[in-house]
Amino acid sequence: MTEGVNGFSSPRSDVFPAGLRVLVVDDDPTWLKILEKMLKKCSYEVTTCGLAIEALDLLRERKDGFDIVISDVNMPDMDGFKLLEHVGLEMDLPVIMMSVDGETRRVMRGVQHGACDYLLKPIRMKELRNIWQHVYRKKIHEVRDTESHEGLEEILMMRNVSEQQQSDDGYLFCGGDMTPGSSRKRKDSEHKYEDNKEFADHSSSVKKARVVWTVDLHQKFVKAVNLIGFEIGPKKILDLMNVPWLTRENVASHLQKYRLYLTRLQKDDLKTSSSGPKHPDLPPRDAAPENCTESTKVQQNEVVSSHRTPNNLNIQNSNPTIHKVDIKSNASLQPIKPKKILTGYAAKTEMSHPFESTQYPPFNSMLPTQYSWGGGSKEIQFKQEHNPPQFQVQNGFFTGLGLPAQQNTMPSFQPPDPVTGPTWSLKDHPNNMELSPFLLQGQHFSSTNVDHQYKGVLSECNDQEFLYDTLRFDYEYSTDPLEWPVIDQGLFIQ
Amino acid sequence: MASVPQLQRQFIEYTTSLHNEGYLDDQFTQLQKLQDESNPDFVVEVVSLYFEDSEKLLNNLATALQQKSVDYKQVDSHVHQFKGSSSSIGAQRVASVCVHFRNFCEEKNLEGCLRCLQQVKQEYILVRNKLEALFRRMMQLEQQILQAGGSIPMME
Repeated sequence: MTEGVNGFSSPRSDVFPAGLRVLVVDDDPTWLKILEKMLKKCSYEVTTCGLAIEALDLLRERKDGFDIVISDVNMPDMDGFKLLEHVGLEMDLPVIMMSVDGETRRVMRGVQHGACDYLLKPIRMKELRNIWQHVYRKKIHEVRDTESHEGLEEILMMRNVSEQQQSDDGYLFCGGDMTPGSSRKRKDSEHKYEDNKEFADHSSSVKKARVVWTVDLHQKFVKAVNLIGFEIGPKKILDLMNVPWLTRENVASHLQKYRLYLTRLQKDDLKTSSSGPKHPDLPPRDAAPENCTESTKVQQNEVVSSHRTPNNLNIQNSNPTIHKVDIKSNASLQPIKPKKILTGYAAKTEMSHPFESTQYPPFNSMLPTQYSWGGGSKEIQFKQEHNPPQFQVQNGFFTGLGLPAQQNTMPSFQPPDPVTGPTWSLKDHPNNMELSPFLLQGQHFSSTNVDHQYKGVLSECNDQEFLYDTLRFDYEYSTDPLEWPVIDQGLFIQ
Repeated sequence: MASVPQLQRQFIEYTTSLHNEGYLDDQFTQLQKLQDESNPDFVVEVVSLYFEDSEKLLNNLATALQQKSVDYKQVDSHVHQFKGSSSSIGAQRVASVCVHFRNFCEEKNLEGCLRCLQQVKQEYILVRNKLEALFRRMMQLEQQILQAGGSIPMME
């Protein structure tokens, strides 16, 4: 249920962004501690989590209890990208990904899956200070969406009413109702927009309370969709759902995500004949195939005036109705033709980005009592005397001293040589070089890609498998088939 | 008895050398900056966590590489983790070895991996020793300063 208190109108808002409620998810305890400290220093309210599943539970429990999620890409119990998608679908929160791995492909995947930012470790505090912008941006966009949606709806509603009333003034009359005190003519679109804005403001303050799509709510949604299909549109779905506090916009945006999800599922269906849905709150898979054609049809219908062209892809196609989703995901579908290169590439880089499988050994069980390397007793001693009190140091002392950055101000000793860059670069990405020409190459195929993609979605033909294969150029073959869908299409959020 | 400024210099010298020799990078400095009154032992705590975690990881690595049929994916993910946590405290030499280690994993080169394991262990032990020594030194210096009637200065 949406709660009345929303991110911006709570008492905290006057000291924004202080008090921003951040959920940090990282399996590395050292990083978790550091990030917690850094975020606290930014005056944010921090909650930490060592497991992705834990994080999801927390988020579900405390609906509307967080403003933003920061998660590491490599989690032992769940792929970070998957977590990202779940958060986007269920909670609609901005998610920032982190990794020590900064390879372009990874970052791209992050973006495709809907991450609003991708930070490279080691993370500096200044990077964390600004994360509030993502929360803010999302809010603004939501309001904007409301306004534009409302505008359209207003027109429709008023037209309906005016028809009923069979009077030209009906149009005006409605307008008056909606915006008390306003009797301006509606025909001027500018005015219209302004008036709608007022109305929108009212509703947007409601809308700002983020809708959390609970299992129940989602089930209602799915039922409604199954009844009438995608074509009819969010309004009808909304009506069918019969949830008073839900708005058409909520349904519309959820519908969008749902469609995406189904398209992915459908591909997955083709890939494997087995397994049921992994997650209880996701719709039953049999809903997928029948909705396939409908979803594409709706895609056709919902031509949005603002086409979002992806990175560098110039889609000049005679078919103007390619849905945003298709266009965007083309970024990942670029390398269709040079499959050979891909497999070569895949083979080479296969190991560099392993999928964190669920067979990750629990640390504890592996820990022997003796350490067999190095100089025996000394280390063991240290290990035992591990308690901080051993090395307690006064705060000021430690902080104040020993900052090599200060050296320049201490003439009494020899200015140090610049820390010689290690012979191996920390950000050693030999693969990057290969990637750029590779990507460039991919761009030439933009127009054919579009056709492939479109065909694939429509016909569920072999092409799709082919498409699917090529997508895995940076991906281990996971044992869990449901985890495949996350690669190919970025979750299109906002 | 050394004067307070002298003691302070000694301390700075020591940490500087650690940076110079490449054991620690700027990240460590960041950690120091994070420490404050509310969390006076922050650096020590973080480093201790790192030690704990690292030892587990190294054990896992050793075990994984001892298997009859080595799962390189597994090994690689451990290394990746180790790289990540080493970067958290600025143990850059350890992190650097991890990069090479991962390449060997990619190539499924057992010998290369085993060599890297040795190397990474060595680097880890080195940095651990250095840090332990650093902490001990600091305690000493601190005590000395207090004994010398000085107060622990807050330098910027």
